[in-house]
Amino acid sequence: MIELSRVVKTYQAGLATPFTAVDDVSLRIPAGKVTVLKGPSGSGKTTLLTLIGCMARPTSGRIHLHGLPAGTLPQLTEGDALEITSLPERFLTAIRRRTFGFIFQQFNLVRGISVLENVMLPTYPTGEDHAWVEARAIERLGELGLLRHLHASVDRLSGGEAQRVAIARALINEPAVIIADEPTAHLDSRLSEDFMELMGQFKAAGKTLLITSHDPIVHGSPLADVVVEMRDGRIVAGS
Amino acid sequence: MIQHPGVLALLLASGLVSLLLLAAGWQGLRILRGWNLQSGSEVQLDLERRTYLVSTLVANALVIQILSLFLFIFTAEGLHTQFVGAMCAAGSLAVNAFGYPTLLAKIATCLVAGVWLILHRADTQGHDYPLIRPKYVLLLILVPMVLAETWLQASYLAGLKADVMTSCCGSLFGQGREGLVAELAGLPPRIMQPAFWITLGAFVAAGVLLLRTRRGAGVFSVLSLAFLLVSVTSLVSFFCLYIYELPTHHCPFCLLQREYGFVGYPIYGTLLGGAILGLGVGALAPFRARKSLSEALPRMQARLAWSALVLALIFTLIVGIWMVLSPLKL
Repeated sequence: MIELSRVVKTYQAGLATPFTAVDDVSLRIPAGKVTVLKGPSGSGKTTLLTLIGCMARPTSGRIHLHGLPAGTLPQLTEGDALEITSLPERFLTAIRRRTFGFIFQQFNLVRGISVLENVMLPTYPTGEDHAWVEARAIERLGELGLLRHLHASVDRLSGGEAQRVAIARALINEPAVIIADEPTAHLDSRLSEDFMELMGQFKAAGKTLLITSHDPIVHGSPLADVVVEMRDGRIVAGS
Repeated sequence: MIQHPGVLALLLASGLVSLLLLAAGWQGLRILRGWNLQSGSEVQLDLERRTYLVSTLVANALVIQILSLFLFIFTAEGLHTQFVGAMCAAGSLAVNAFGYPTLLAKIATCLVAGVWLILHRADTQGHDYPLIRPKYVLLLILVPMVLAETWLQASYLAGLKADVMTSCCGSLFGQGREGLVAELAGLPPRIMQPAFWITLGAFVAAGVLLLRTRRGAGVFSVLSLAFLLVSVTSLVSFFCLYIYELPTHHCPFCLLQREYGFVGYPIYGTLLGGAILGLGVGALAPFRARKSLSEALPRMQARLAWSALVLALIFTLIVGIWMVLSPLKL
């Protein structure tokens, strides 16, 4: 479970034009469920995702990860809780790698290299055996029906295919939590429904899913266990 | 003041290090007063971010501080040709009243700075800032030490006048003179040789005990400091006689000259390095019970102890080789 306590994120704090993107948010995100953050553009959904995913630090407030698997950090044992906003950067990096898988709105695939290389990229800093990583990447791409594009450049993929490569990349380090930021923003209705079907498979596999979206196909889906509505940086419904 | 690259580099380095440590000391005070990891307040999160920057700056400044000890000795050695009567750094340091106090202050800050770097390294091994308070308490002790040293050094360097007559090392470290250093030089080898080998044996035994049982970190630490003091005394008393091949020349500074293969630098480097690492073993001992360091700290202590022993043995090897190969027999 991920627990947020009175989280605030203010950009340009202390300057003439401060902007509070997330304002006093307290929230519990249950493990093994699908939580959707919905709200209009500028409501603070993406900022909140970056805070939970250890990509930014809040201005105040704390975020706890409960029930961490053994080996997340050397000193932690199975089921320990960890407060992540105070973690020094080297530990945050380890958490980002092992706990979270990210699916970005723009997919953020690296152009000019192959599908397989894109999927393997997040494993390079871990120093894992290359052959083992490659086998795992091929397995993930196979599950997503992308085997025929294995060695193709990502520039030649369609929108739906590019997103599935991004999903395979998010899964390569076998994270417990998958974070997706507006994943259907560039997909048509059929591809959006395919995406939700995939999310259903991940949920069944025990993954925790945290998705931001203002697409009714996502926040209206029966898969969504918790829907949290945000506006002006605050939670207005569903916490 | 003599316009010399070494003098200018020393003044610049000590000025910069002092400024950085003053700023870091102020942040350290804020951290010691306001640190509360349980709190998610804006102030606490700001302190967490700042400690990163402050620690990194201090760590780099202290590396410069440690290196500046060797630059100081190197510069003093290089300047001796400017002073009538000086034959090596011993004469340069005796040009005015601030020379030797500066050297002692630099050695003291070098040891404390080394221990701070070890504490800092250990602190970064835990995810919950386990040594943040001891680290900043030590920093606040270090700040006045570095400021005092900067003042002493500036006074020494500003007071260097080329027309000053000074003493040569033969006179400063000669037997029969008064003062602590002359008395050290006068200590007979028949006392200092057994003292050195016994201290080395005790140091190695404490190290082996620590590595095998993970106990006795405090004793090892004390012995590492004792080994430094006994080794320097032994160096002045008899080791350097073998190196100079002269039964009456006890100067610890001529070792830094080309004529003797600059052997003084590895000798003092290994001695100081070993003492810092040994002191670090003891400095970490009280914090072994902290949960986030329970795995990392014993490993780190073992590595430090190993390294301190290796440096002590390298020192012994260097002076031992000179003893064996020297035509001088005492």
